[in-house]
Amino acid sequence: MMKNLRRVSQIVFFLFFVYLFIQTEYKGRNELGLPVRLFLDFDPLVALSSLLASHAVRAVFLFSLVTVALTIVLGRFFCGWVCPLGAINTAIGGLRMRRLKPGRSEGRFPRWRPVKYYVLVFVLVAAIFGWNAAGFLDPISLTIRSLAIGYNPAINKIARSALEAGIGFNIPLVSPGLDALYTKMTGTVLSFNQPIFRQSLFIGLIFTAILGLNFLAPRFWCRYLCPLGALLGLIGWKQIGARVANDKDKCISCRKCVVACQGDATPFPPGEWASRECLVCYNCREVCPASAISITAGARNTGDGNVDLERRWLLASGIGALLVVPAIATGVQRKRTDPSLIRPPGALPEQEFVRRCVKCGECMKVCLTNGLHPTFAEAGLEGLWTPILVPRLGYCEFNCNLCSQVCPTGAIRPVTVAEKQKIHIGLAFVDKNRCLPYAFKRQCIVCEEHCPTPEKAITFVEEPAIDERGAMVILKKPVVNPDLCIGCGICETKCPVIDRPAIYVTAINESRAEENQLFLKI
Amino acid sequence: MLDRRKFLAGLAVGAAGLLVPKGKLPAFPAQKGAKPAPKPKDEKYAMAVVKGGDPTLVTRKAIDLIGGMGSFVSRGDVVLVKPNIGWDRTEEQAANTNPLVVAALVTMALEAGAKKVVVADNPCNDARRTYKRSGIEDAAKKAGAEVLFMEDRHYVKTNLNGEVLKDWLVFRGALDANKIINVPIAKHHGLGGITLMMKNLMGVTGGARNLMHQRLPESIVDLQAFFKPQLNVLDAIRILKANGPQGGSTKDVEKLDTVAASADPVRLEAWGISLFGKKIENFPAVALAEKRGLGIKDFRSSGFIEVNLG
Repeated sequence: MMKNLRRVSQIVFFLFFVYLFIQTEYKGRNELGLPVRLFLDFDPLVALSSLLASHAVRAVFLFSLVTVALTIVLGRFFCGWVCPLGAINTAIGGLRMRRLKPGRSEGRFPRWRPVKYYVLVFVLVAAIFGWNAAGFLDPISLTIRSLAIGYNPAINKIARSALEAGIGFNIPLVSPGLDALYTKMTGTVLSFNQPIFRQSLFIGLIFTAILGLNFLAPRFWCRYLCPLGALLGLIGWKQIGARVANDKDKCISCRKCVVACQGDATPFPPGEWASRECLVCYNCREVCPASAISITAGARNTGDGNVDLERRWLLASGIGALLVVPAIATGVQRKRTDPSLIRPPGALPEQEFVRRCVKCGECMKVCLTNGLHPTFAEAGLEGLWTPILVPRLGYCEFNCNLCSQVCPTGAIRPVTVAEKQKIHIGLAFVDKNRCLPYAFKRQCIVCEEHCPTPEKAITFVEEPAIDERGAMVILKKPVVNPDLCIGCGICETKCPVIDRPAIYVTAINESRAEENQLFLKI
Repeated sequence: MLDRRKFLAGLAVGAAGLLVPKGKLPAFPAQKGAKPAPKPKDEKYAMAVVKGGDPTLVTRKAIDLIGGMGSFVSRGDVVLVKPNIGWDRTEEQAANTNPLVVAALVTMALEAGAKKVVVADNPCNDARRTYKRSGIEDAAKKAGAEVLFMEDRHYVKTNLNGEVLKDWLVFRGALDANKIINVPIAKHHGLGGITLMMKNLMGVTGGARNLMHQRLPESIVDLQAFFKPQLNVLDAIRILKANGPQGGSTKDVEKLDTVAASADPVRLEAWGISLFGKKIENFPAVALAEKRGLGIKDFRSSGFIEVNLG
């Protein structure tokens, strides 16, 4: 019964997660109106790592305290009942679990159980010294990022291609129906536009590999690698609300519970139950043919099979983090800002920003124009997969502040639209060697047309010239006013010089960085 | 239906009590010379400018003066109403066609027996935002139109046979429609000076249309020559006088409460230029269009009427 209840809970939370994921898109109102980042808000690892790295206490962390409180009572119920990655791993791991044989191939790597704690130590020590590495491995951040950047573009492409093929066959009744369906699906189940992201294959493959680990051992990630699982295991090791007891007088040593266990928590032998590994999945109680296993509140001395954490590995993890941090802090990004490091409006100053950002990808998913992409080398390893605007691919919409609405850590602080419209995220430059009127004496001025500031940041100078037909024309040549230009990048997106643009934005003059200014302040 | 519409229009001009069924009177002879006084409602003018009142009434009156929607839309027609929904701006910022003007045209087309009225544009900003924020999506839907986003698969490669435009991606809805109603807003534009009727047709094309800027006058005349919208309406409820075409500051907006309508887009184009106090000679597209027989630029010539409802 409890096992089925747990399954229902996993399915419900997973569907809720997917629903919020799909809703992380513009739906016709400036305000999203839905707490799309809810899972991140309840994630204590996100809260703790950004707290340690940035020393900023935020009210939203209170949500994660709810998770902490429940974990103290129920152990790793979050892993077993709530976590969306846990649910996916349960489903895929189930395929492997069916083939396991008690006593022979049990699909376990018990010696790996401490690894996730070492991962956690590494991540937290790194955070203390200012490197927020938690986001790479935090399961919620990992899942949202991987789905948004890696899977969603592929899912969209497959669905769209299938529908287009169906429409293309021109079958009476069917094709028009598919056409209507296609229109209904875009912006509802499918993204409004086909999403395209840099590194989507790379990020998607990493996630696929993590899912593939289920074929080594069911829920391999959750059992052996997940730092959030480790944190919750440490918080909830008492698991006072649901302790697993194996009655040694009843136990027939069939080992079925060992194989059915989602967390490699060894409900057998009696007295060896490892509470930190237990995902409260109820499989052991359900599978036991002798009814030897009970799960009750407050039961004492039911087991202490918790693995010892070895001091040398704990030290190695901590010292490893200590060594990596200076290496990261001496990346070239600390000497010179990469010109393409255009952060979304509301982004904190760079150091503060990378300390908070957990690379969850919410901002990239929600970006109206698909202009926010994960960094690769632009921000160094400390900033890997943090968001930058790539104006060639999408611009920052003048009236939109969605990215600041979804950020779970305040790396992008909440800004109103009016506030956002005054934030400079970069500055546009005209490349006169490529710009049509400058270089080829042809009219264009598309950049000026699209420039969204009410008093245009791009204007033009008029100059008589003989054009390519030998006719006298008054050429309009674009000029950027750096006081008005907010760096939104629409000029670069729309520039008809479609490969290397004739007008482009770099991060200089960004409001958030005193040290990245172009002009003498008088 | 017709009677009620005529009745409303009649009330609006204060010419009451003459509910003669349409079609029984001969076409009104062309007017010459000075601005004619408002005439009984069944006269058919070639171009009407109506000002001073609610956008719905003004639009209705303008259409009625040029013969009523029935002389442009027939029973069973599929009609494309093509407003400017290009920008993520509000009605007050005057970067998009007034939503009530669009809605009035939709209502009238349906009253005239149209089977379906589609409202669509290929905008410059994100379509979801421009459709919403302009107010056009809601207003047009309420009036009974099918409001469509132009999705990638809706474009068909089409030979426009123009002087400068040959093969272009064109919105299928513009090719499928029996009738097109072109209804832009009059506003300032950096390259073109002012953007009016013909440039609005860029919104039914896709592909690398920003290349058209290299030969803008020829391009938009090519578009006009290809699509030849049956009914042309110019929205000057508000006009944007600087920082166009997307504006943003209401300081640049002037409220004129005016709508003009004609079968001839060139007359409207010329009239629109005059609204901004500019010289028509400085807008080469107008002369080009006239030369190609797409209309006449002397908008005050025969059949011109200006009515003030205010």
